[in-house]
Amino acid sequence: MKKTKVQKATSRAPAIGERKALRKRVILSNTNALEVDGMPDLFVGNMAVPEVAGKMVGLPGPVVDSLRAAEAFKVTQGWSLFRKPAVLMRSETVEMGKLIQNLDAQTENRKTIRKIIAGERGSGKSVLLLQAMAMAYLKGWIVINIPDAKDLVQNHAAYAPIPDSQPLLYLQKTLTASLLDRLQKSNPILTTLTLSKPHTFPLPLSPQTTLSDLALHGISDPDLAWPAFTILWTELTSPSSPIPGATRPPILLALDGLAHALINSHYLTRDAQPIHAHDLALVSFFLRYLRASPPTDLPNGGLVLAAMSASNAPSCPALRLAVSQSLARQRGEEVPEWDPYRKIDTRALEAVSGVDVLGVGGLSKVEARAVLEYYAASGVVRERVDARYVGEAWTVSGGGLVGELERGAVRMRV
Amino acid sequence: MKASSLSIGFRRATCSFCRLSRQAQYESNGFRSFHPPGVSRRHLATTTTSPVTAAPELNFSKRDGKPIDERLLKRVRIVPASPSYFSGKPVFTDGLLSMQALLRKFQTLPCVEPNDAPRVAWKRFREYLGQVNEPVKAAKYHKIIQILQRLNRIHPSLMPEEVTEAMKRYKRDVNPHDNQAKPSFVDENGVSRGLGRRKTSTARVWLVEGEGEVLVNGKTLTQTFGKLHDRESAIWALKATNRTDKYNVWALVSGGGTTGQAEALTLAIAKALLVQEPLLKPALRRAGCVTRDPRIVERKKPGHLKARKMPTWVKR
Repeated sequence: MKKTKVQKATSRAPAIGERKALRKRVILSNTNALEVDGMPDLFVGNMAVPEVAGKMVGLPGPVVDSLRAAEAFKVTQGWSLFRKPAVLMRSETVEMGKLIQNLDAQTENRKTIRKIIAGERGSGKSVLLLQAMAMAYLKGWIVINIPDAKDLVQNHAAYAPIPDSQPLLYLQKTLTASLLDRLQKSNPILTTLTLSKPHTFPLPLSPQTTLSDLALHGISDPDLAWPAFTILWTELTSPSSPIPGATRPPILLALDGLAHALINSHYLTRDAQPIHAHDLALVSFFLRYLRASPPTDLPNGGLVLAAMSASNAPSCPALRLAVSQSLARQRGEEVPEWDPYRKIDTRALEAVSGVDVLGVGGLSKVEARAVLEYYAASGVVRERVDARYVGEAWTVSGGGLVGELERGAVRMRV
Repeated sequence: MKASSLSIGFRRATCSFCRLSRQAQYESNGFRSFHPPGVSRRHLATTTTSPVTAAPELNFSKRDGKPIDERLLKRVRIVPASPSYFSGKPVFTDGLLSMQALLRKFQTLPCVEPNDAPRVAWKRFREYLGQVNEPVKAAKYHKIIQILQRLNRIHPSLMPEEVTEAMKRYKRDVNPHDNQAKPSFVDENGVSRGLGRRKTSTARVWLVEGEGEVLVNGKTLTQTFGKLHDRESAIWALKATNRTDKYNVWALVSGGGTTGQAEALTLAIAKALLVQEPLLKPALRRAGCVTRDPRIVERKKPGHLKARKMPTWVKR
């Protein structure tokens, strides 16, 4: 039998990490798209006013940089179609803006507000989270974002038990370092805040050490990431004072893909038993503040937001029950009970039951029209945006689901 | 030697006699009657075949009491009155002849246009075959049908009783054209209903004036149909007539796959819309929403891998 020659690839093999970088690349600007005239930028003054409701607003440059560093933009979202990132101020966004506007570390309004963002696939949960983060950046808050809880539980990173922790927690040092990285890069305010008290840290820390420097220690050496993060958190939650460098702004804790944080992770214990996501230090850190009973408040106030994902979500009956119960309570309907003869993850249920649920649904026709007019002004929609076109797009997108609206109007058209 | 040949000859003679008598027995029981292929017993059971009797023997010895000249008999040829005289069973030929005679008799009566003639479902060929119980070709039966269609065109007010009786023999027991669809209506709540089918899917739709909301099996359009194309198919009747934001749709769909369900919805919504606005019919027909798509999956055949696919040919 004749031996066939193996064809050697003539092109260069992609370098390590090149494919992933391409996969994760977020494009936020398209010079082919038209600039939209007369579209205001989001700023502190217009983020909670009723006049802006139902209008598109652009995101200012520094906020876009912060959001990008916090990995708030997703590859699957259609940012790359437009000249600059812009968002719709839907009614839920304006409500969120009011919450952020009213919270203040200095005054008596130091509340901790917890919300789970729930809704259909393509209803704009992740973008609502992004909007909350954008408004928090504008207000000078500290934003800690976990872009996808799946990254924390899918067993792609090193992990080890934290010695002497009770109950036993598992630490993911590289993931902590990347969390610090996002935190440090996306919050420029950290460079103005200094340590308020001495801490025990493997490296010498002076009183002039900024919180950004502290984070950089953790980023450069993943072994120091967890100690750096704990000190950073202690500092961020210490009482605020008007002295320069000692002010402590409110905090926004954001997490996307909540269901992943409520089930068994893919990590295994020494006995090859699955580790529950709640036993991972980072997940446990977030859920401590999300939990409604017993609540752990943020001393300087803030928001704890957890968005669900409808397209990439493992089955989590406890979360489903908690959300349906909360929505029923809001509507004044009969609260559904769990069938006692079926198993339920009680840890997950305790973590999320009682937390307010912000239900996100379809846009109103006015909002849908604003989005479609923005598409038309950007040059990606060629049709005349009239009542007929808006009505059709609204119906086909299942009652104005914004993701489906984009899919139908922009992506599936050639 | 001589004795054995005698005994064999005697046995043969006895056997031949026995065979003859048995045959006669069969015929008297009617066992040799013709059964056309493919005719079910159901059809045979319902038929009323007239007993076929042989023509009486011709008597050539006398005519009008006078003896016939034998020379005349050598000169003339006797022609039977019916062409079916020499056929085994004359039912079809006689039937055809009688219909031809009937047509000849009444062909001068005024006719209506074929469109205006009452719609009649004539017996199918197989049904007829079961009735006459004799080998008839389909093309021959078609001749009768042509005559029947011509007779059916005679003006209904002048239709002779004789023709009506004759046509009755060839009509199906149940006339499907008598089945008139019930007229749909918009009920007191302003809701109209529509039913649509495509492939193996069935869609029932309740249509009411509204803002363009759609619920299919209690779910939104996006939850029901992941594909954008299916969603657009489902509401195509509304979209093609620019009524998307004028009506709300509440639908139940079952059976089949997503495409079938979506296209069943097209038809159902179109029918419900026609109840609300009958004048939209031409527009909906142009949009292809009025006619049910009759295409269904072709059945698999023995010897084939699928409906038409054959196994790979191998040399041996």
